[in-house]
Parts: sequence; C-alpha cells; structure tokens
Amino acid sequence: MILHRERRVLAALLLSVLLLTTACTPQAPGRFDQVQKESTQQKSGQAVVKKATQGSEFNKFFPGASGGYQRVYTQEKKGFAEAKLKKGGKDVAMLSISDTTSTPGTAAKFSNSTKKIGGYPAVEVGKTQSAILVGKYQVKVLSRDPSFTASDRADWLKKFNLNALAKLK
Amino acid sequence: MSKSIFELVDQLPTSGLTISMLNSLDFVAPGQWQNTVGFVNTIKTVTGETDEDLIQQIGERAIYLFNDKSQGYQTALWLYQTVDSTDKALGAAALANKVGEKIPLLGFLNSVTPKPDKAQTIDLTLKLVAELVAFCQINGIPGDSIGDFVASLGEYSGESLIRMVALVCVDGLIPLGPDFISKAISGLNQTNPQELEKNSTFQNIKDVIPGNNSAGKLNFIGESFDSVKGWMSGLVDANNLTPQKVAHNLQGFVEIADDKLDYLAAFLDVATNYYEHTGTQTLARRLIERAVAEI
Repeated sequence: MILHRERRVLAALLLSVLLLTTACTPQAPGRFDQVQKESTQQKSGQAVVKKATQGSEFNKFFPGASGGYQRVYTQEKKGFAEAKLKKGGKDVAMLSISDTTSTPGTAAKFSNSTKKIGGYPAVEVGKTQSAILVGKYQVKVLSRDPSFTASDRADWLKKFNLNALAKLK
Repeated sequence: MSKSIFELVDQLPTSGLTISMLNSLDFVAPGQWQNTVGFVNTIKTVTGETDEDLIQQIGERAIYLFNDKSQGYQTALWLYQTVDSTDKALGAAALANKVGEKIPLLGFLNSVTPKPDKAQTIDLTLKLVAELVAFCQINGIPGDSIGDFVASLGEYSGESLIRMVALVCVDGLIPLGPDFISKAISGLNQTNPQELEKNSTFQNIKDVIPGNNSAGKLNFIGESFDSVKGWMSGLVDANNLTPQKVAHNLQGFVEIADDKLDYLAAFLDVATNYYEHTGTQTLARRLIERAVAEI
C-alpha cells in the first residue's frame, strides 16, 4: 500500500518535472532565426542598396533566342534581371544579371577564381550554377534540367554582351 | 508583417479543404501543381541544390529580400491574403462534419449566403486585379516591350496556373454560370464607382490599384479583365469546362446537388484560401529564384 502511494507520488513528481522542463525549455533557435532578426532591424533598403542599377538597364545585355532555345524575361527588379531559357516547351536554364553592390559576398567569392569565361573571372557554385564577375555585376547561368550541362552554361555566359555590360556604371 | 517568410512557407498545410479543392482541379492542368511546402524543401525543389551551406545562403538572401519593404514582396503577399475572404471557423466546422471522405454541404446551407451576381462579379474581377498587381510587385515588368511582358505573363505554370484555374472555375463558372465572362463584363459596365466603393475587398486593396480615383480604378479593373478574357475563354474551351463538369470533379470531397451550385460557390469562397496558399508558394518560388541568382 505504502509502496503503491510512493509510486504514485513518484509518478506525479516525474510528470510535473517533465511538464516543467518541456514548458520552460526555450525552443532551440531555428537556422533562419538569426538572419530574420538582422534583416528586420530596418524596414526598407536592407536587401537592395539605393544606388543599385535598375534591372531594366540589364535587359539589353541578355542573349536572344537561338538554336531552338526560347528566351522569356521573368523578373526585372532593382539590381536584378532574369530570363528563362526554354527548349521544347521545357524550362532548361535561368539567365541572370545582378548588381553586387547590395551583396558584397557575391563579388568576394571571385577573388579565389582561377578560371575565366569570356575573359572574366568565373566560378562554379553548387551543382547547377556558373557565374562570372563583369565589373560590379554578376552574370549567372543556372541549370534547371540535367540536360543543360556546365559547358552549356559556359556557352550561354559568353553569349551575353559582356563587354558592353562592363562599361555600364 | 508579423510572421517571417520561412514560417509562412513552413506552415503551409498539406491537407484540408483548400488542398482538396486544388487537387480536384488538377484535371484542367494535369500535373501542374505540386503542393510544395516547407521553406528549405522549396529551396531544394526550385534550385535543385542539396548542399546545406548553399541552401543556408539562398534562404538568408531570400529572407533579406522579403523583409526589404522597398522590394514589393510584402505588398504582394498581403494582396494574396486580403482577397481571400476566408472564414476559418466555417472551414473547420465543415471538416469536422465530414462523413467519410466527403463534406455534406446540405448541413451548411444555412451558414453560407450566395452572393448576387454583381457582388460576385466584383469579387472575381478584384481577384484578377490583385493577381496582376501582385505579379508586378513580385516580378517587376520584365523585358523591354509589351510583347516581353505578355510573354512573361504567358509563362504561368505550377502554383500560379492552378490559382488562375481555380479563379475561372470557382469564382467564375460555378457562381456565374457558363457565360461568366460576358456576365462579368456587362456587370462591370453597369457598376458605378459608388457601388465599387461599397465592396469591402475594394476598400481594403484600393490603394494599390492603379487609378486616381474610384472611377479610374474601376476603369483599370475593366481593362484588366478585358485583357485576360481571351486567355480565360481559351481555358474554358480547351477543357470543355462547364459549371456541372467542375462541380462533378469537386464532388470528390464535397457533396452537393447540381441545383445548389451557388451555395457551393459561397461555401468554397469562405471555406478555402486558395489565393493565399498558392500565392505564398508563388512568392517563395520567385524569391528563391532571385536569391540563388544573386548570391
């Protein structure tokens, strides 16, 4: 009988300890909590700097449709423009130009570059991306289909009007 | 903006009335919509990248972009949320009364009120305008010509396409009937600015609709609807869509008689939030596409 009561007390005690610890332990911070905090310190202008070049300035440097590929512009924002490449109705790649003034890390990654494409420092990022730095602008080609390889990306990077882009202030 | 973009995408549901409804409309755009949820999962799906450090960088850039008010993403999300007039309590009550897999709508005839055609027309056209304005907030006006812009609009796929399919089916065909396009046009023509001002959705979103005053905004709404009517009738013709055909496909999850389609429309209007759900998915996709290209 006594044992029984002790057991019950113990069970209640354990239960309350459990409730207390689960209720009071702060949730482990998520992987994006820190950046959420940083990026909400100001309401506007923290992602794209004021003097960034307008995306509309970039459109004219994009390669046109060719070789069975169709080019469709998809985004035009301050500091950024993007188009997709389609073949046979399927999305195969994305083409983009961005102003790295807003993202200093983007330009910094080219300092270790040993390779050049179209005469500009080049890097491979992840499994799907090839990028070059043209002045303060990053030109990137991103595969959206396995059939579009790193060498296709290099070919399309060369099709941008890179020398004219290099003169854009 | 109280919730972060990653929480919003992480909390998108994988089941419920909205998901059932969108899945039922798959017959109009087979395989187009996958219910991609979860912020990290969306990054992986959109970019094809798997390296955790890279995913972190993409996610962080996307979060920065979303939180920068000058970039328009918050306005777009707010629009998607605002044009859905969802009554979450009713949706929950309907789910609770499910018999087997289906919701017997008969039990809810007293809880929903079909809208008069004119009010439904205003709702339909406002949702369309919200889509157009949100598109421009998210993507800018891509390209250098009207042709580029129209081509960019024509690229609707995935969650954007199923949202437009649902708009045609659930906010057009079912409540207004097979001739919903001409009905909406004549309805708009007979609407004056004062009537428009009485619409609560219009009151909420009028500041972001182009036009100097209510008359100008009404004009813009009419022009927007006019510019997509060809696309809408093309969708209806290509799939032989009729109110009965759409209702038949929806009967996978809701039980309704053919003579009560106006009640079905009223019920779906308050019990689902397909604009918000798919709009959040569209926004996440575009943010991630930009983020991965900028890092």
